Amino acid sequence: MKHLLRFIFILTLLIIQANVSSAQTTKYKCMLQMTNYMGEGAYIVVSLVDSKGAYEKTLYVMGSDKKWYKNLATWFKFYKSKPTNISAITGASVTGGDRSVTTFEIENSKINAGYKLRFETAVEDNKYYEKDLEVPLTTEGIAGKTEGTGYIRYVRLSAN
Amino acid sequence: MTISVWRYSHLALAVSFFLFIALASITGIILAFQPLADKMPAYRAHDFNQITLSQAIPSLKAAYPDITDLSIDANQFLIAKGNDADGNKLLAYVDPRTGKVLGHPGNPNEFFQWVTALHRSLFLHEAGRIFMGITAFILLLIAISGTVLVIQRQRGVRHFFKKIVKENFAQYYHVVLGRLSLIPILIIALTGTFLSLTKFAIFTQPKKSAHVDLNAIKDGPKKKLSEFAIFKETKLADVQSIEYPFSDDPEDYYTIKLKDRELAINQITGDILSDVPYPTTVILNNLSLDLHTGRASAIWAIVLAVASANILFFIYSGFMITLKRRSNRVKNKYKAEESKFILLVGSENGNTFRFAGAIHQQLIKNGQTAFLAQLNDYKVYPQAKHIIVFTATYGLGDAPTNAKNFEKLLDQYQQLHPVQTSVVAFGSHAYPDFCQFGFEVNNLLSRQHWAVPLLEIHTVNDKSPAEFGQWATTWAQMANMDIEIAPELLNAKPTGLQSLTVIEKTPVTHDEGAFLIRLKTPRRSKFTSGDLLAIYPANDHRERLYSIGKVGNDIQLSVKLHRDGLGSGYLHQLQPGQSFKARIAANPHFYFPQNAPAVVLISNGTGIAPFLGMLDQNTKKISTHLYCGFRGQASFDLYESAIKSNLSGGQLNALHVAFSREGKKQYIKDLLAHDAEIVAGVLAKKGAIMLCGSLSMQNDMIELLDHICQSKLGESISHYQSHGQILMDCY
Repeated sequence: MKHLLRFIFILTLLIIQANVSSAQTTKYKCMLQMTNYMGEGAYIVVSLVDSKGAYEKTLYVMGSDKKWYKNLATWFKFYKSKPTNISAITGASVTGGDRSVTTFEIENSKINAGYKLRFETAVEDNKYYEKDLEVPLTTEGIAGKTEGTGYIRYVRLSAN
Repeated sequence: MTISVWRYSHLALAVSFFLFIALASITGIILAFQPLADKMPAYRAHDFNQITLSQAIPSLKAAYPDITDLSIDANQFLIAKGNDADGNKLLAYVDPRTGKVLGHPGNPNEFFQWVTALHRSLFLHEAGRIFMGITAFILLLIAISGTVLVIQRQRGVRHFFKKIVKENFAQYYHVVLGRLSLIPILIIALTGTFLSLTKFAIFTQPKKSAHVDLNAIKDGPKKKLSEFAIFKETKLADVQSIEYPFSDDPEDYYTIKLKDRELAINQITGDILSDVPYPTTVILNNLSLDLHTGRASAIWAIVLAVASANILFFIYSGFMITLKRRSNRVKNKYKAEESKFILLVGSENGNTFRFAGAIHQQLIKNGQTAFLAQLNDYKVYPQAKHIIVFTATYGLGDAPTNAKNFEKLLDQYQQLHPVQTSVVAFGSHAYPDFCQFGFEVNNLLSRQHWAVPLLEIHTVNDKSPAEFGQWATTWAQMANMDIEIAPELLNAKPTGLQSLTVIEKTPVTHDEGAFLIRLKTPRRSKFTSGDLLAIYPANDHRERLYSIGKVGNDIQLSVKLHRDGLGSGYLHQLQPGQSFKARIAANPHFYFPQNAPAVVLISNGTGIAPFLGMLDQNTKKISTHLYCGFRGQASFDLYESAIKSNLSGGQLNALHVAFSREGKKQYIKDLLAHDAEIVAGVLAKKGAIMLCGSLSMQNDMIELLDHICQSKLGESISHYQSHGQILMDCY
């Protein structure tokens, strides 16, 4: 009986935990506008990085041919050291002048806690931008428009 | 062998790039099936071309409030992107009217991706792309040089699609298919080159972005999406993609990418905020992709597959043609300067070399010094005793490439002493200008003071071994040469020997006189006047040919009895009732033209034999003049009564006889010069002139007739020769 009680208690805790964690994430729609560069589609990876710039999680990958991933050098080091299944968060690469709208989830606890969204870009054999742009995960940062420095013109986020 | 620049480049480019072109063709054929496979599950909405944006945009927005993008692929399948009502990711083929999900885009087929990578870059990324781009460009050059070659071959653009004469499989289909798939191949090569260039940003102009003045955006008056004028006007079929506004904020707008420009539309008022046309290169790039991949049309994709398959065939047939040509290259044992026998060849494709080569071989075998060269290499041959010209005719009566300079060279180089000449003209009756160049060469030679014709010009139709053999045998006899032509060139033994019986024979009345002999043929044998009778007086390879006149149903020969003459002596000793074996050789190039409006017959001596038969057979009473020359009345006596009865019977309209040693001492050419108007008139109304008799008479006649043709008709004689209006059978 004691065992059963303990089991129910743990189970309840787990369920609450699960509910709490799901309640703590928000879906964001992310609009990414490319510059009018010429050439092949750009490979873009969106990562959650902490205040020190360390990778926490891969949120979205644009570009499906794995052979180009190594060109996103810094992220690729992280990805290789902690391989995760990214097939569900992989979409098409984005060409110059195009707009891409994607959706990803961010834990609420990461907001206003020094975290940033890093957008890394590379175009096949051409130039690679480790920080094409970074969106600070602050209330203002999310609401605003962040200009890119490489292939990306700007990024806008909108909480769903 | 001289090869024209175009042919040389056509070949050199093809040889150096054929591996890559073959690879691109094979992968191209496979890739042509990608658009077909893509279109297989049809997600295209019914009446797609009729649907406007005012129908599609609002209905899809209603079905999927979180829709972000719409795109229309090359198959006119509509893909919606965004999130569906349950917040799940939406990526589906949808119906533009109802938003109903029709299917889901699968992952791109890995096999096709792999083949595509091979096709465009050989798996070598940038370097491979450059290389395949160059390959496409080379293909373009090959196609262009091929076009020029076809134009040259057909003698002008106007004849481009006229009939091509079939010479052999590889060559015929190389040209025929080349013409048919020329346009698709040019398109493939051009678009392929262009696509490679755009990849390297050589042709590209930067796209301009929509420039929207955010301060000027109005937030009213609000209109319904379906009422937006621009949405009503625009058909979904003209659109590449649509971006829905990112949010409801008036500053976010619709972006409509059409085929040729990009529009930004205010999401509240429907105003056009920006209208930016694409740079031409973008439009060209899209067009090139459509044309190169066949993605927009299944039919075009099939055309591309067939054209690619043709390229493979061209590689194969091109090599066959080249190998064939190479195998005909000349290898000489003796130098030109030391050779007694000079064999000159005019050949476009090298076929004629085979014949000349056989004679060359035989001469060498006989211990003779012989030299084989092309007509373009003609020069002075200090030791030459014989010059034999073997020449084909190219296109519509022109010199083959390796004989183009012969006329000039002939003027430039005079042989130092008399040389015996013979011309063998190769041609095909499938062409209108049969052996024309051969005739021209023969006429040119006859004007050279050093040239002594050994034989009259001999024509060979469609590389006939029998006709060539006829020439070879005659020539060998005249040159006292023992020549056996390899059996693969000739039918080895005389076939079709028939038993002939002598019916009657006239006596020879004077020295070096002639006689008539009539022979009965087996009932089944078919022949007519102008055919040749081949007899074998010594029962060996030696053959003697006589021109047949068909009188009644019998063969009539007119034979001049030579002292020690092999053939004439043999025929003369035959008695009526005796039989012997002989062969009737059809000689259709010397038949009396059945449809000519008028005919002029010209003979000297026993050359009258076929004409006697022709007049006898002229039951249609075609207007005919006979000009015949003899030494004297005694020689004419033999034929006079028959000819007089032809005159009274209406088979002959006029008789003109010249006696060279009696009376006015005239030659036939004197009679004809006097009657030049008649001759020119006959040729002008497409009548025919037939010559039979000695070669020297023929040479005189050609000179005279050429003069008449030039002065009265403004054409050279070879024009009429090649149109079958001047027929000759001289010896």
